[in-house]
Amino acid sequence: MALTTLPTAAFATGSVGTSQLADGAVTTEKLVADVNFRNIIINGDMSIAQRGTSSTSSDFATVDRNNVLFGTIGATQSQTTDVPSNYTFNNSFKLNVDTASSATNANAQIRQIIEAQMIRSSGWNYTSSSSYLTLSFWVKCSLAGTYYAVFRSEDGTQQSISKSYTINSANTWEKKTITISGNSNITINNDNGRGLTVWFVFIAGTDNSGSSANLDSWGAFVSGNYTPDSSDAQTFLNTTNANISFTGVQLEVGTTASDFEFLPRDINLQRCQRYYRRFKSTGQTEDDFATIYGNAANGDHVMVGVPLSPTMRSVPSVSIDNPLTIDDHFRSGRTQSSANCVINGNGKGTYIVLKCGNFTSMSTGNTIQFSHNTTTVTIQFSSEL
Amino acid sequence: MEIQSVTKNYTLTNFCNSYQVVFTNGQEWSVPLDESNSDYQMILEWVALGNTITDNGGGE
Repeated sequence: MALTTLPTAAFATGSVGTSQLADGAVTTEKLVADVNFRNIIINGDMSIAQRGTSSTSSDFATVDRNNVLFGTIGATQSQTTDVPSNYTFNNSFKLNVDTASSATNANAQIRQIIEAQMIRSSGWNYTSSSSYLTLSFWVKCSLAGTYYAVFRSEDGTQQSISKSYTINSANTWEKKTITISGNSNITINNDNGRGLTVWFVFIAGTDNSGSSANLDSWGAFVSGNYTPDSSDAQTFLNTTNANISFTGVQLEVGTTASDFEFLPRDINLQRCQRYYRRFKSTGQTEDDFATIYGNAANGDHVMVGVPLSPTMRSVPSVSIDNPLTIDDHFRSGRTQSSANCVINGNGKGTYIVLKCGNFTSMSTGNTIQFSHNTTTVTIQFSSEL
Repeated sequence: MEIQSVTKNYTLTNFCNSYQVVFTNGQEWSVPLDESNSDYQMILEWVALGNTITDNGGGE
């Protein structure tokens, strides 16, 4: 709870001095914990998973904002309910190695790319070596060992720094903390592009790791040198059913890791929907198809304007997975012969106009509404970084 | 994701305002011609590597 203003009559002048306050009674942690929206990472409690809860695909597929890449290995990414005990987390993100690999280019990466203007507005003086960011996270790994987190600035000449963390006990939730400073070579533009990437990486061999990695200090990013060579990462990638889970990921300004900042679910969802949202025909309360209206443009096309709230980071890409059914003039249902919805206008982050074809016998000008039909149709909007 | 193919989309008045991208994992996305869109950036890189955007023309 935030500090409240005490009435002036609460304490007599001079009645509370250093002798009344025990040593350590007011700590930096307690002060920092009263800063709202201090977590630069979005969805660090892994609670929002608009795309689904389990997938064997790489890229964005489950927990929002988590960009998961894996090469050579086969893996499952998922949102789980396995969380540290005695804390109020509800979810974690898990990566499981389904098919192991000892190839020199085997890798698994879990990353969040932070929008540049979010870094610029965070209060971190990124060009100062005496201004700091602290990353804290809960992690549980099936294999004890030393692994790496990597930070990379994305504008100008990319700068990177890798920091190790150690899993002391297998299959046990442990909290880790990493602090990095700013650096005079870092460039971060005040725009909606990529600003800073935070990675948890497992690099197996020489293709993506090496002695040119910037360990513990910033330096120009060297392609193929994300981290130093790591035998523990190699073992992880070459062990079937090796797995690692994260939750409570928080990146904040300063040298102290404060308690994880939980946000209300609606706020957390809205922050994620700046980068991805979807509408489903099955009448979900948070992504309802029936909010989409339009008109028949000719006999086989309809045009719809889709309001995007909250405003998305950029004009989004759009995808539809199954043939769409619409209510024509609020009466008869009409279904596409095959799925087809493409961007028609230039659009903005606040709305976009779609042209959906493959209908028949439409009357030009008729008002149409996307229908709650029995077939599950999902339209996705993505402006991920 | 890796790009498999890119095709121009046309409006009913024959303007190209988006590209249709098929990725190697089978996903298909309509991508705006917006330089801050990361899929569009990926298309530009794909073209820079020597790949060609298919143009089937408008005229719907």
